[in-house]
Amino acid sequence: MRQLKKLMPELVMLMPAMLLLMLFVVVPFFMSGYLSFTNEKLIARPIATAWVGWRNYEKLFTDPAFWQAVKNTFYFALLVTPFQLAISLGSALLLNSRLPFRSLFRSIALLPLLTPITVIVAIWAVLYKIPDGLFNHLYQLLFSTSHYIDWLGNVDMAMPAIVLLSAWATFPFQMLIYLAGLQEIPKDLYEAAELDGAKPFQQFLHVTLPCLRNTNIFVIIVTTIGALKLFTQVNILTHGGPNGATNTIIHYMYENGFVAQKIGYASAVSVTFFLTVTAIALLQRFLMKNE
Amino acid sequence: MKKSLLGLCVASVFAAQTSYALELKAWVIDGDSEKPFFQQLEKNFNAKYKDQNLTVNVVPIPGYNNAIQAAALSGDLPDVIMVDGPNMANYVWTKMLQPLDGLVDKSIVADLLPSVKEQGIYGPDKKIYMLSPYDSSVLLWGNKKYLQEAGVRIPTSIKDAWDDKEFADALAKLAKVKGVQWPLDMKLNYDGEWFTYGFAPFIQSRGADLIDRKTWKAEGTLDSPPAIAALTELQTWSKNGWIVPATAGDNRFYGDKTAALAWVGNWMWRAHKTGLGHDLVLIPAPKLAGKSVSPNGGWGWAVPAKTKHTAEVSKFLNFALSTEQVAKYADITGYIPARKSSVALSEIYRPGGEGALFVEQAQTAAVVRPVHPAYPVISSAFGKAVQHILQGSDVKDELQKAAKTIDEDIEDNSGYPPFDK
Repeated sequence: MRQLKKLMPELVMLMPAMLLLMLFVVVPFFMSGYLSFTNEKLIARPIATAWVGWRNYEKLFTDPAFWQAVKNTFYFALLVTPFQLAISLGSALLLNSRLPFRSLFRSIALLPLLTPITVIVAIWAVLYKIPDGLFNHLYQLLFSTSHYIDWLGNVDMAMPAIVLLSAWATFPFQMLIYLAGLQEIPKDLYEAAELDGAKPFQQFLHVTLPCLRNTNIFVIIVTTIGALKLFTQVNILTHGGPNGATNTIIHYMYENGFVAQKIGYASAVSVTFFLTVTAIALLQRFLMKNE
Repeated sequence: MKKSLLGLCVASVFAAQTSYALELKAWVIDGDSEKPFFQQLEKNFNAKYKDQNLTVNVVPIPGYNNAIQAAALSGDLPDVIMVDGPNMANYVWTKMLQPLDGLVDKSIVADLLPSVKEQGIYGPDKKIYMLSPYDSSVLLWGNKKYLQEAGVRIPTSIKDAWDDKEFADALAKLAKVKGVQWPLDMKLNYDGEWFTYGFAPFIQSRGADLIDRKTWKAEGTLDSPPAIAALTELQTWSKNGWIVPATAGDNRFYGDKTAALAWVGNWMWRAHKTGLGHDLVLIPAPKLAGKSVSPNGGWGWAVPAKTKHTAEVSKFLNFALSTEQVAKYADITGYIPARKSSVALSEIYRPGGEGALFVEQAQTAAVVRPVHPAYPVISSAFGKAVQHILQGSDVKDELQKAAKTIDEDIEDNSGYPPFDK
């Protein structure tokens, strides 16, 4: 009892956060869990919603379009995560060095983060345009050809094109975390390394990287989860095309839930997605802890 | 004494109520071409009914379909809404709308283009739930300069429209004309409903349809041999590089003029006219397998089931659907007027006017989209199949998949009673 009394202030402070979490995360999750076993529609209808058992899940797991979306989502995460890690760490290192006009560059690097993703996507749509977008101009200039590439309309190019855009659009977030991580590293470690005769690259390998270990774990998990949620870019640029090559799990869920109004089915997708992401996050934590 | 005082109180309350100003709220689509129309509609209606203390507030809503669904779920629908034609049946089935039969003058209903009226009638109870002030259509727009260079005949009426051979032949010839990168723009850059609206005519003119309109089954109709033949031909054109790809943007026909023909609706009228000027020609929907088919319909006025001020709403609907207002809708937005009496008033659409061909199509070649509560699913399934087919997927496979999706949804909803009868 006394223990509980001691904890009172913490519990009181925790209440608002817990309440919001319950209201907007836990309750909706259990609701969609329940709905995924029904044939609920988006708009209330004159016939009763029926319990359909595992039917939604059976349909889901036998739908090739769903598996294609799963494959695409992981393909995207696999491409974008290392790529984004590299550019965010690279730019964080650059901005952490004794660059003149450092703060100016820092603000510039943050610009993509301040621009709404829809605006970024609209701008990149122009860059990718055929036959006369910027990327095609560059391509034609580099290879001195009049041929052009349909970046977003080609089955093999569409996903890499979205990867490039997405990496650029959100890298400043990871960069900020890296920047914070870099500034946490004690200066004397570098001085000691320098005394031992370590070159800058060796310092990076043996001082910077090991010290960034926790930052890395965090960034990798956050980036992977973020990547698995890919939606806006696809919904605006390709609508999941060409031929389903850029359809993602979230876009698949949106199409079924909001366009075709099948809330029960879309709930089954979202429950599956939630469980998958949780499993991946736990696995990543486990693997990195063990290292 | 006491009694009469009470009576006086009651009477004054009533008096206050009759003089109480009522503002109707109407939600409309947020389109650039429609905005000036709605502004004048609000102004003129309010001026006319000022003495009766009745006004209307016409509010354009962005993201319209989602907004309506959200408002319907939360019970926040206004007095009058605009509804997209093919969604009407779904809304009626979910008891969102009330019939307009008693609210709109009979003379207006009698004066409507047949296909516009048909679009608003709900099958099971044969009542009207939606009335559109306009009809939209799709035809071929041509760049006269390119067509003449290619030596292609330009038809002027539905009677002498191209057949499939002539259409394909024209594309092949146009592809060789200097300056033409893609002969045909089919607006693959559009989203959603367009892929049903714009492409269903290709299967319908050959005798197939999106769904059997008696048994309400898609299998055997949507994936029937004529449908497969129609989309296989389109796929060939796409493979030949004859169709503007989705990522090439909107302005290939009227902007940089690298496309020679455009298959799109009358909403592009202004853009095309400004871009091409005297080079613009209107070509009727091609006769594939002997018959021209064009899609029809559009957004129309509807009244939510919960709306109480029906007498006032009736005044508003009769005003918005009056001959003059319908003619104005046409002239301001470029859509075909829904009333026969307005056609004569419209600069563009009167007989001999520039848009007369559109009216001809609307009267003779228009096929209404299935008025069935499953339409949202029908449209998204067929639309996706069309997109996949144009991107190279197996035609038969895609159409079978779409048919299965539709039939499954109807089954999931127990046949959408009373449609199951």
